[in-house]
Amino acid sequence: MSAININFPNGKVNQEYSIELKSVAEQFGIAELNFEGLEDLGLQYDEDEQQITGVPSLAGDHQIVMKYQLKDKQDGQPEFLSKEITLIINPDPKELWKKSIPTPENIAYYKPDSNKEFVKVETKITKKMLGLKQTKEARKDLVAASQRGRSHAIEGKPRDDDFALFFDEASEWYVMTVADGAGSAKYSRKGSEIACQTVIEVCKEQIAAKRAILEKAIRVLSKEQTQENRNAVGKTLYEIVGGAAFKAYKNIDAEVSKRAGENEQEAVAIKDYSTTLLIAICKKFDFGWFIGGFWVGDGGMGIYRKEPEYLKILGEPDGGEYAGQTRFLTMSEIMQAEEIYRRVRFDIVPDFTALILMTDGITDPKFETDANLNRIEKWHQLWRDLEGENEDRLKVDFTDDNEQAADQLLQWLDFWSKGNHDDRTIAILF
Amino acid sequence: MRRLPVYLVLDTSGSMTGEPIEAVKNGVQVLVSTLRQDPYALETAFLSVITFDSSAKQIVPLTELSLFQMPNIDATGTTAFGDALQLLAEKIDSEVAKSTTEVKGDWKPLVFIMTDGAPTDNWQKGLAEFQKRKTGIVVACGAGTGADTNVLKQITEVVVQLDTADSGTIKAFFKWVSASVSTGSQKVEASGVDVGGLSELPPPPPEVNIVV
Repeated sequence: MSAININFPNGKVNQEYSIELKSVAEQFGIAELNFEGLEDLGLQYDEDEQQITGVPSLAGDHQIVMKYQLKDKQDGQPEFLSKEITLIINPDPKELWKKSIPTPENIAYYKPDSNKEFVKVETKITKKMLGLKQTKEARKDLVAASQRGRSHAIEGKPRDDDFALFFDEASEWYVMTVADGAGSAKYSRKGSEIACQTVIEVCKEQIAAKRAILEKAIRVLSKEQTQENRNAVGKTLYEIVGGAAFKAYKNIDAEVSKRAGENEQEAVAIKDYSTTLLIAICKKFDFGWFIGGFWVGDGGMGIYRKEPEYLKILGEPDGGEYAGQTRFLTMSEIMQAEEIYRRVRFDIVPDFTALILMTDGITDPKFETDANLNRIEKWHQLWRDLEGENEDRLKVDFTDDNEQAADQLLQWLDFWSKGNHDDRTIAILF
Repeated sequence: MRRLPVYLVLDTSGSMTGEPIEAVKNGVQVLVSTLRQDPYALETAFLSVITFDSSAKQIVPLTELSLFQMPNIDATGTTAFGDALQLLAEKIDSEVAKSTTEVKGDWKPLVFIMTDGAPTDNWQKGLAEFQKRKTGIVVACGAGTGADTNVLKQITEVVVQLDTADSGTIKAFFKWVSASVSTGSQKVEASGVDVGGLSELPPPPPEVNIVV
């Protein structure tokens, strides 16, 4: 008789488990079998079918006892022999992730665990012919939501992401920005906040000062796509969004000095405020939309049109050979004129379904790879997902002026994706 | 999903016979059952076991933590340490994914090496191969006073020593390994940054001495 050697595959709490023992019984010449210790785990042994089935309810390394009788039982042997078997039942990660500790409000640079905003841009009514005739034009709205990741919630750590939105009624320029504070940097939540606030401030001011030049250059470019005309647009756009990024860097640097001055015993450096930054500014013209962007770090920013399908990614994510290597606004090598200029992108399109900015808390689970970010199928999928094609049937209603979209988007951000529990932030112009 | 690969490289030479080898087996089991309680590790950690005696063998290929089962190991033969490093290098090449535009890479692998003796083969050759690979933290543990910590120091900055290779001490070491893997997986999930040096690991228990 050979030693009975069997391994039970590992199970998982709340997930169907089954193992058949017919072949084991045959292999080792076992006449009769039964088990001790299965019921406590939510499992049963079916003697007729010779299999263990059930849905395990208890996680752990369980010792169960197999009692068996051999066909060629020798004289003097006990009726039943027994063997201990380890059965490993894994916990359900969803259960382990449920723990959520609110961020203590007394920490430095406290920030709420979630945030949302809807900027309603109402239908524009233009009166013509001495006010006798009027035209109505629905205008696109801005929505954004940001949610602390489960990996932070489980430890009571703050959200590091941020966003900001702005619409200027006078000039009809839109500004949107999202930032992802580096998890390894202790004050990155402030870095991302300063970055977003600064972007709005500077863009507001710069658009007011430079819109005449910029709009003229855009109109010229829309008529004739020459390199010279592109350069003219690029130059002014660089002054606006590049200027905003640079000022964000300076403001973060100023905060570092301020903090250092107030807390002499604490060592702080700009890398403690590390953040990524995505900026988009855009405006509707009679010939279509102009969209300009600036992007440093990971995440994603794209102009998406469902039909006729169109996709333009406004930059490239900064990735590395191994996971987790990215670039930050707070790196001095990024704050060089040429580097900033390289990161400025723009496009003119007839129309679009959505302009989307997101942090890697969303691009990692929804796009997985950098290459996928350039595949329109993935954007179709994301859009259908936002519109309710998902496991939890969470739907964002993108009809014009729907102010509920902010709440809906925040709820949608709670989607489940194995191994992806980072802060999630998304801003959409639709 | 980005995986956190963890390689356990364990000495199973003849000198480990008896209590030490039993303790190592138990230690791996404690390590795995502790990690399973940690949602970070449960979702991201992948575990492989390489043993070495007269030659090196990968007895468990890189396996998702929830599916991991520790096979039986026996102590026998000499200490082909270089062979183990060579095999480890090869396995890192074939099992750990690097990021490309089409593939989301894994985190840099964590490596825990345990030995109770001195190498009996040409270990520098294996070391040279291993050093060409990018790894996260590498911890080398000398189990008992027979281990040559001078050799271990050439592999990694982080060398620890156990005064004795008894079951209590070896268990303490594996508990510390489990805490280190937990820290590693939490750190990568929460911050997107690999674990660097000893200062980023949890403090070792009293049974585990840091070799400086």
